[in-house]
Amino acid sequence: MEALFINLAEAFTGWMIRLGLNPAWAESILLLVKWIIVITIITVNIIILIWLERKISAFFQERLGPNRLGPFGIFQTVADAIKLLTKEDIVPSAADKLIFKTAPMFFIVVAVMLYTVIPMGKDMEVINLNIGLLFFISVGSLSTIALLMAGWGSNNKWSLMGAVRSVAQMVSYEIPLAFSLLGVVMITGSLNLQDIVAAQDKWWFIVLQPIAFITYFIAATAELNRGPFDMPEAEQELTGGAYTEYTGMRWALFFLAEYTNLVAVSALMATVFLGGWQGPWLPSWLWIIIKTYAVILVFFWVKWTFPRIRMDHLMSFSWKVLVPVSLGNILLTGAGIYFCRWMGWC
Amino acid sequence: MKGQGLIKGLGITLKHFFQKEITEQYPDVMPELAPRFRGCLRFQFEKCIACGICVNNCPNDVLSFETEKSDKSKKKKLLSYSIDFQYCMFCNLCVEGCPTNCLYFDHDFELSSFEREDIKMIYLRPEGLDEAEDSQAEPEEQEDKEQKQIEAMLKALQKNPQKVLSRLLEGEEDINILSELIQSDQKTAGKIAELMIKDKEKALKVARGFINKEKKNRAQQEMDGGKGGDNDV
Ligand code: SF4
Ligand code: SF4
Repeated sequence: MEALFINLAEAFTGWMIRLGLNPAWAESILLLVKWIIVITIITVNIIILIWLERKISAFFQERLGPNRLGPFGIFQTVADAIKLLTKEDIVPSAADKLIFKTAPMFFIVVAVMLYTVIPMGKDMEVINLNIGLLFFISVGSLSTIALLMAGWGSNNKWSLMGAVRSVAQMVSYEIPLAFSLLGVVMITGSLNLQDIVAAQDKWWFIVLQPIAFITYFIAATAELNRGPFDMPEAEQELTGGAYTEYTGMRWALFFLAEYTNLVAVSALMATVFLGGWQGPWLPSWLWIIIKTYAVILVFFWVKWTFPRIRMDHLMSFSWKVLVPVSLGNILLTGAGIYFCRWMGWC
Repeated sequence: MKGQGLIKGLGITLKHFFQKEITEQYPDVMPELAPRFRGCLRFQFEKCIACGICVNNCPNDVLSFETEKSDKSKKKKLLSYSIDFQYCMFCNLCVEGCPTNCLYFDHDFELSSFEREDIKMIYLRPEGLDEAEDSQAEPEEQEDKEQKQIEAMLKALQKNPQKVLSRLLEGEEDINILSELIQSDQKTAGKIAELMIKDKEKALKVARGFINKEKKNRAQQEMDGGKGGDNDV
């Protein structure tokens, strides 16, 4: 069970080599197949996630949620997806057409790129980068540009307002986000995510770095534009922020990308703080899925509990609380490591 | 401490997460309605006396009816009654005002229809109501009249029994005895009054019966006690 997918991949390459392909070609085809699988999983996963979020938000509010289409309303999101696919695609006449059209594509591509480095199990990742964490953070922050493109290209005050907000918010929260991960990097001495997972075989980093975990969680919520930090969308004030002018499938791409980001960030959180794919009895790829979903559920819980906070509060919270706290955490970690070495414990 | 509220909030939502959903699955499961829920306004044609109180009471001009002068009696004859329900605001004033309780709200709340006109409910005079009313009206009216007469007689009897009874009986002693009886006993008075209107002969017989009985009673009392009896007479 443990090496199920790895064996599958090896069998696949072996089969292609036997067909007479040279190994380099077989490797690249395998990479392509991996990508297709990742994208399929993402899409199917998002359909489940949207359904799950609607159900869970309903339960938090003592409602029933979707329950008409299929058992427990499971096909509701499928129906919604079909509806979005068949909707008219409207591009505002005054919009900057090129930017307007590329923004959603850019957003989803960036979101999908995040999955390349996340270890989905023992020796299971698309690319084993030795700067995986850095890659994740830098690619993750690229989505700001997509939102800015959308807001600017729409030529609409709400969109621009939302885009400006999202840039301000993401730039501010990027800093505590990176700083909080730095503590972990200092302990492991590596940016490779597999190494970070391997370093957690005794203690999960949520135990060693609780402050970093909390700051990362808060900053990630803001990074994901999720409630209570969903100012860039803010339906009630901005009628949807940067997404205001988007219709049909273009809008759906944004939606898709948001959930893709959510899964990616949750998976990273599980990898860095919750021991990644490590766990007893079950195969490693199942453990990472379970942990990711647990983190996602907490994100849902937070979103459906807290009201949206004000923009200036958001900014001051980032700069006056999160940044100092995460910096302090780095200092503490450094001191701890030194103390440890001095005592000869590690 | 700062941030305690956040934890508390999370706790509250978690509590609600495990509580029972309160959503009503409406088309599948009908909601439970309160007994005095106001759904659709209904009308019972047979009971209506065409008094017009409901029309006067309605603030929104929902109700209207047509009548016809009946040739047989003075009563107005109700031809049709219409409820233009789209303007109704369910204030219940019409129901409260109706003296015969022929308007009422039932529990049917699914009132939507495709055409505006379909909302209007028109009740036409049911066939066969004419005959039914005619055959009913006569004896009922007579009974009414009789009842009134009986009541008048009873009053007169209680007020001035001697004078009234003199029309029925002869002999001063008998009249006195009976009038005393009537004043002391409501039941006897009622019986005599009723019979005097309906059947004089029978009334006479009954009155005689009462008198004789009373006479016997008195005789008995005189034989027994003596003193008390004297005072009575
Ligand atoms: S409920 Fe009120 S508004 Fe409706 S018909 Fe009766 S009096 Fe008129
Ligand atoms: S108040 Fe009642 S009895 Fe009078 S007209 Fe209206 S419905 Fe008929």
